[in-house]
Amino acid sequence: MSKQMTEMLKGTLEGIVLAILSVQPEYGYEITARLREMGFSDIAEGTVYALLVRVEQRGLVAVEKVPSEKGPPRKVYSLNAQGQAYLEEFWQTWRFLTERLARLQKGGR
Amino acid sequence: MFISTFITKVIGDKTQWRQYKARAKQLPPNYRTALEALERYLMYFGTGGDGTAIYADLLDLFEQSVENRTPIRKIVGEDPVEFIETFVRNYPKGQWILRERERLTTALAHAEAEEAKSV
Repeated sequence: MSKQMTEMLKGTLEGIVLAILSVQPEYGYEITARLREMGFSDIAEGTVYALLVRVEQRGLVAVEKVPSEKGPPRKVYSLNAQGQAYLEEFWQTWRFLTERLARLQKGGR
Repeated sequence: MFISTFITKVIGDKTQWRQYKARAKQLPPNYRTALEALERYLMYFGTGGDGTAIYADLLDLFEQSVENRTPIRKIVGEDPVEFIETFVRNYPKGQWILRERERLTTALAHAEAEEAKSV
């Protein structure tokens, strides 16, 4: 992954993960798998994990602990109302950015 | 009163720390090496007195990764320093930097207010 890609992803990964959770609740591990399927193959497990810790602390997701056969209980994340509102704001920002950048790319202002 | 809270806190932390260490010992050697390296870095970098929460969360991550057979590099990424410094930012409780941030914000607000007066 290029340095530029890493830098740009930093600002958008939170929105991407919340968008994934808006489809259906997921285990942390499955979120990374989804990202890989989408082509974000170099995203580290730990990066996603840290992000999940953060959105949980900020109250954007609901977390349910499901016991696993061995190892620690696994957490299932789902988007709550606050997360939904945050995601909506993310898409608005995204639309604004892409529209302005497309104009700039075409040579307009 | 203060002393007893202090003792509870230290002893509580100590027990949690022992539990953490015992769990960490169960990790496969390479995962354990990686976790210990992160732990060492945190001792220098500082966790802002958040106690053992951050270590327990890191250990959860490593235990999950063992279960899912995630290779070490896929856990911490290409830049482990960036990984751990981003990670620690999730645990700002009691961090001295919070006070300094507040001080900076207030100082700038004062400067702005003085500017408004002089115009």
